Amino acid sequence: MERWQKWAAQQGSAPPDDLPLALATEGAHGPVIHANNRAARLAGMRVGERVVDMRALCPDLQVEQADLDGDWRALERLMLWTRRWCPWTVTDGADGLILDTTGSAHLFGGEAALLREMEERLAGLGLGSQIAIAPTWGAAWALARFGPVRAICPGGQEAEMLAPLPARALRLEEKTGLLLHRLGLKTIGDLAAIPRLSLTRRFARAELDGNPLMRLDQAMGRASEPVSSPDAPPVFRTLARLAEPIQDPTPHLPELCEALCAQLAGEGMGCRKLRLTVYHTDGEISTIMAAMSRPSREARHLERLFEGKLERINPGFGFDLITLEAGGVEELVIAQHRLEGGPKDDLDLVRLVDRLVARFGASAVTRPTPRASHVPERAQNWQSAMAAPTTPVSPPARERPLRLFEHPEEIRVLYAVPEGPPAQFIWRRQTLHVTRYAGPERIAPEWWNDRPGTRLRDYFKVEDQTGRRFWLYREGLHGDGRGGAPRWFLHGAFA
Amino acid sequence: MPQNDHQHKRRTLETDGLTPNPRAAYVELGVTSCFSFLYGASDAVDLAATAWEQGYDALGIADLNTMAGVVRLHAEATKAHIRPVIGCRVALISGEAFLAYPRNRIGYGQLCALLSKGKMSTPDGEWQEKGACQITLNDLAAHADQIQLILLPPENLHDLAAQLRQLTRRLPTLRHIAASYLYRGDDRARINHLDRLARRFGLSILATNDVHYHAPDRRPLQDVITCIREKTTIDRAGFLLHANAERHLKSPSEMIRLFADWPHAIRATREVADACAFSLNELRYEYPEETVPQGQTADAYLAELTWAGAAKRYPKGISDKVRATLQKELALISKLDISPYFLTIRYIVHYARSIGILCQGRGSAANSAVCFCLEITSVDPDLNDVLFERFISEERREPPDIDVDFEHERREEVIQHIYEKYGRARAGLCATVIHYRPRMAIREVGKVMGLSEDVTSALAKTIWGSFGREIGAKEAEEAGLDLNDPHLSRAIKLADQMIGMPRHLGQHVGGFILTQHPLIETVPIGNGAMPDRTFIEWDKDDIDELGIFKVDVLGLGMLTCIRKAFDLLKAHYDTPLELASIKEGDEAVYDMLCRGESLGVFQVESRAQMNMLPRLKPRKFYDLVIQVAIVRPGPIQGDMVHPYLRRRAGKEPEDYPSPAPEFGPPDELKQILGRTFGVPIFQEQAMKIAMVAAAFSPEEANQLRKAMATFRAKGMVSDHKEKMVGRMVKRGYDPEFAARCFSQIEGFGEYGFPESHAASFAHLVYVSSWLKCHHPDVFCIALLNSQPMGFYAPAQIVRDAQENGVEVRPPDVNFSEWDSTLEPIAPGTFAVRLGLRQVDGMKEDAARRLAAVRQTPFTDLEDLKTRARQDAGSLRRLAAADAFRSMGLDRRAALWDAAALKDAPNLPLFTARDARDEGAETRVALPTMPVCEHVVADYQTLRLSLKAHPLSFLRKSMAAQGFISTETLVRTHNGEQVSMGGIVLVRQRPGSAKGVCFITMEDEKGIANLVIWPKVMAAYRKVIMRARLIVVHGRVQRDADIIHVVAERLEDRTDALTRLANDPMPVPLAHADEVRRPVPEPRARHPRNVRIIPKSRDFH
Repeated sequence: MERWQKWAAQQGSAPPDDLPLALATEGAHGPVIHANNRAARLAGMRVGERVVDMRALCPDLQVEQADLDGDWRALERLMLWTRRWCPWTVTDGADGLILDTTGSAHLFGGEAALLREMEERLAGLGLGSQIAIAPTWGAAWALARFGPVRAICPGGQEAEMLAPLPARALRLEEKTGLLLHRLGLKTIGDLAAIPRLSLTRRFARAELDGNPLMRLDQAMGRASEPVSSPDAPPVFRTLARLAEPIQDPTPHLPELCEALCAQLAGEGMGCRKLRLTVYHTDGEISTIMAAMSRPSREARHLERLFEGKLERINPGFGFDLITLEAGGVEELVIAQHRLEGGPKDDLDLVRLVDRLVARFGASAVTRPTPRASHVPERAQNWQSAMAAPTTPVSPPARERPLRLFEHPEEIRVLYAVPEGPPAQFIWRRQTLHVTRYAGPERIAPEWWNDRPGTRLRDYFKVEDQTGRRFWLYREGLHGDGRGGAPRWFLHGAFA
Repeated sequence: MPQNDHQHKRRTLETDGLTPNPRAAYVELGVTSCFSFLYGASDAVDLAATAWEQGYDALGIADLNTMAGVVRLHAEATKAHIRPVIGCRVALISGEAFLAYPRNRIGYGQLCALLSKGKMSTPDGEWQEKGACQITLNDLAAHADQIQLILLPPENLHDLAAQLRQLTRRLPTLRHIAASYLYRGDDRARINHLDRLARRFGLSILATNDVHYHAPDRRPLQDVITCIREKTTIDRAGFLLHANAERHLKSPSEMIRLFADWPHAIRATREVADACAFSLNELRYEYPEETVPQGQTADAYLAELTWAGAAKRYPKGISDKVRATLQKELALISKLDISPYFLTIRYIVHYARSIGILCQGRGSAANSAVCFCLEITSVDPDLNDVLFERFISEERREPPDIDVDFEHERREEVIQHIYEKYGRARAGLCATVIHYRPRMAIREVGKVMGLSEDVTSALAKTIWGSFGREIGAKEAEEAGLDLNDPHLSRAIKLADQMIGMPRHLGQHVGGFILTQHPLIETVPIGNGAMPDRTFIEWDKDDIDELGIFKVDVLGLGMLTCIRKAFDLLKAHYDTPLELASIKEGDEAVYDMLCRGESLGVFQVESRAQMNMLPRLKPRKFYDLVIQVAIVRPGPIQGDMVHPYLRRRAGKEPEDYPSPAPEFGPPDELKQILGRTFGVPIFQEQAMKIAMVAAAFSPEEANQLRKAMATFRAKGMVSDHKEKMVGRMVKRGYDPEFAARCFSQIEGFGEYGFPESHAASFAHLVYVSSWLKCHHPDVFCIALLNSQPMGFYAPAQIVRDAQENGVEVRPPDVNFSEWDSTLEPIAPGTFAVRLGLRQVDGMKEDAARRLAAVRQTPFTDLEDLKTRARQDAGSLRRLAAADAFRSMGLDRRAALWDAAALKDAPNLPLFTARDARDEGAETRVALPTMPVCEHVVADYQTLRLSLKAHPLSFLRKSMAAQGFISTETLVRTHNGEQVSMGGIVLVRQRPGSAKGVCFITMEDEKGIANLVIWPKVMAAYRKVIMRARLIVVHGRVQRDADIIHVVAERLEDRTDALTRLANDPMPVPLAHADEVRRPVPEPRARHPRNVRIIPKSRDFH
């Protein structure tokens, strides 16, 4: 929810806090509420209920689609971000993080101070948090969710701290929770008081989240549950420390690129972004970015992308550290295109595009892509060259002129009214006689796009006395109620 | 909120002023109507009207693999004096497509059989899915000798020559190739190419415009439905859409101009059309002949059966009245030639009886003496007025209408028997055409147009509650939508066009078509979504149009309940009963009804009915008929309830206006309205007034009847009003009275209740009341065992039984069966033992297994597990439901023990190992479960509790806060200020109550009824919708014995319930609750039931 609010605020469309708002996911019977804001909670919207039911209760509820994958990715990023406090962190479920702070709490002035710092830092990110420190994963889970604010459980006191918490604080599935409730074992303390043997008899074969005994052991530290921290994705970065401050980074560039490409090649990766950072002696930092349309790890190519850009750095008193960092790292598989192993030709075009983009900016370099539209001038789009190519659509088999004029040129035509083919026309002050024609091909306006009153077009393919072939169209029909007599245009020329 | 406001009225062509067109040289044969779902964008009315304007004298119809639209086009075209040429567009699974036009009836039969084959089975002979149609070239070749085939060439003509070589060899009746001039740019070249190809294979080209819509301005709609079909949006559809709007119906002269170079293509259309001699009028309905024995006519056999039945019904001799009625009816039946219809129904009813299924007929023709004697109905004509000839009029020649209700749990048996008896080729269910309704239309159009979900739901909401068919511009503005936005207004316009378009075919709930000759040669039959159901492609209106009769086989929950009650009575009380044998006129029964105690009783158990009972005070059968009919939107809105009650109570004189003496007898209205004290209650009475007092001809009355159904939707009132009032005044009636009569008819609108239905229902009301009155224990069990049905949840049924002195015992593994049962207490008295079916999640076979091996009581869970082969899951469910008390285990102990049992194979070796692993069990003292937690757990697992009422735990605190109980409520006086708390049972907002909401709530002492005025409703909307435990502060309103609390303030105190066990407590709402189950649910039901009784929950 908070992630969404931040996103919406960035978009400049954040709704006021006092309007009820909910995020929904698809449930078995239509969308269900996944998260909601304070106003919605006050209005009685509950997580897990169907949106239709909730709308009936609160008609002005605004519903947005929840982005579960995005949430998950954000949580993973957050997990890496929390490594600032300790080296071992791991995500826990869809909404939790576990940090193994063993031996690192004193760096932040003790556990209480650490918790405060965490809460402040997370609040700085716009995230609310419930945090607890405990000797075991299970106990920390329980205390964070059901315990007091910023609970700290000293080692050996798990049993006392957890005893008043409800049984479902043991990370048990709902069914087992209900069973324990019906059995009168409502708190962890009640459960712990039952002889182990009786519990074993009943729950020994159950799955972990249906097994209060194992969960209890985990929480009390009788069963180990280590934090197996996943590795952070590798960072590809090379740096050049300079003995003396210099004014121009260019001579170091080839070396840096080589080293970076070697790193990338070692992992079988390529990058689509580059960041060159120079650290000035006076503490200033300047960065230069470059981007590629395809992942690459070719040193020479990468190097050339910085051509003409390095001059933009104001050297000031010079700089003594240069780093080159790869971004947009993707897997890059080397494909062999020819038997003898030479490079593929079209790579040159790709390189050209990259270099042009590096010079003139991403918006200056575009390429045409086909678009599914019957209207000829809409049948192609210009797309940024850096964008991933789209899959082409196959148009119906109709012959189109090789050259299409950007603006159809109005011509004067002699034709048999109302719908006859053109017999003779004047184009650019020359009179052309039509010797042959084909058509008409009628293309109606796209009613969902065009202004009302746009007229349909009848396209003709014509050939003049000298054998030149043109593509003409008549705009409108006699008596179509959309303006006077139809007008004629020349729209293109065939080869 | 009436349920069917958005039901689309079928459009028809106004016939005035249409004259036949002269013979045209061209006939359009490639017409795709909107019954090619999501292909065609125009309906039969538009097509026929446009064709007439353009001077066609004949028009083909060729929908994609279906005949669903032909009847409509047939009807509309005939009205426009255009000859409909019936055909079909056949698409093979190999990709070829043909126009297929049968030459004659045989060809038509072949075509239908071909489509039926494709729809009923896959090419491999498997059961075909609903909606699919797979036809192979072999199928086509086998069915095509009387069908003219026209090949529709593919877009790409490269392989056509090779294809043609094969096709002409396989299909000798393929004589033409369709050619279209669609402004594609290469049309001339293409047509020339086709022409050359055709000549090469000895064929001819045939002109067609591949019509998808009647006029060019329908192209946007066609584009939109294409997008719906392809599941894309208009912006992304691209080449899926056609480039131009040329696929509309063009005039013959225009087509001749386009095909000026190929006159033979135009000639070919005429030749094909002229060679089609078939008309749908040739389809003659034939009754199945099995019902009549060899060598006897249907009429004679019917008469024989009737008189034999009469002798059985009246062992003491047939009265003169009945004899006369029978003779009259038999004469009429034989004159109308509908004896086989009665025989067919008799056969079905007879079959159902023979396998012990209760059934009862109703409907216009059902309340006849003949039907009584044939044992189709149980309403004795001797005691009641029968109204037969009112419903079967000679003039109208409309098919008689008998619906037969069967026990809902066993209706499928009857259906399958009919399939078996007549064969799937001769019997089929009727279809129901599902039309686009405003909400659905705007949602789908909005999706295609790329409107956001919020905008479409806002739009959909604006239609909600408005009566008209169209999306109101005013409402849209109220919802904050800018109609000046061209995109939005375009979407609304398109949605508007789409409303009323057919969307898909559904299956009628139970309308059977039975024929003598194979039905698949009359209409294609397809498979239903439900297993083992097949249905035809035409709906009820289409069948009426062609004069085909259908038999309605419907399910009724109350019949199941009554049958179960009869079974129990026979087994335990040794009183065998049947529907007709319960003696009428039992004082005790009527006393009970007069007190308003009707929980569980058929039809009169709703709140409104319960309130009406003490006012109406029914004393005889006919009072029940009125009771059933009067609490309906029709009479309530027509303001007929109070006049009737006043006249009945003698507070107001009955008066019957009369016409001027020269026009007729002064008591002509008294004959019509005499039985209802001069107040029209039934639909037929209103019609009769029009016929007698305003001298409407049967034809006119029929028009009025049809118009009545559409009054609200369309402003057609004034015409009929002028006509009726004018004529009544002319005949000497008081103008004011005439106007009132008409507004009463208007008030009926769609919701008038016919007397024939009311009479059949009233009989079930009486039977169920009799059971409730004399055997509340049996009635309670029968209701519980027939769930889900009726208005109330098991908790309320059980409570009602307890109040009637029945002892109810909880489910227990050592006493309960699957069903609830009777347990003897003393000779002749029984207690109700709840069945294991009440246990949430319990499976029927597990319960039956348990009961089967229970010769000696089970001693512990282990015993139960091994002897009854129960799995651990069932045992835990039983334990959670506290069903082990007879073993001395309470819920907690049982659960504790059940948790120790495992599903692992019970091999001695492993058991021993388990024991060794874990050691011997030590007894653990679990904390005892407080009663309030027991009650909550009871509600969670059984949906009721026999231990205590949840409110009894709160009573002390409530009393301290000044809340009174329902017991005290009885002693309050009118206008007293009270505060009460209770569990919400039902929340209802009837459409006829102008926004007033009714809540029934319950505490440990009884039930209280709350009235919530719209203003309070608006203020406490959230509380009302959400609360399970509601607290009300308000004033008492007393009227006779009826006490209401008019709410002023409401509070949601569900938290107090939750605190009982610190666990959410599910409170059983009655089935009729409208918040959990909003009323306008789009479920396919019998259309007639939907129209008449919008609120009843008894129909399945």
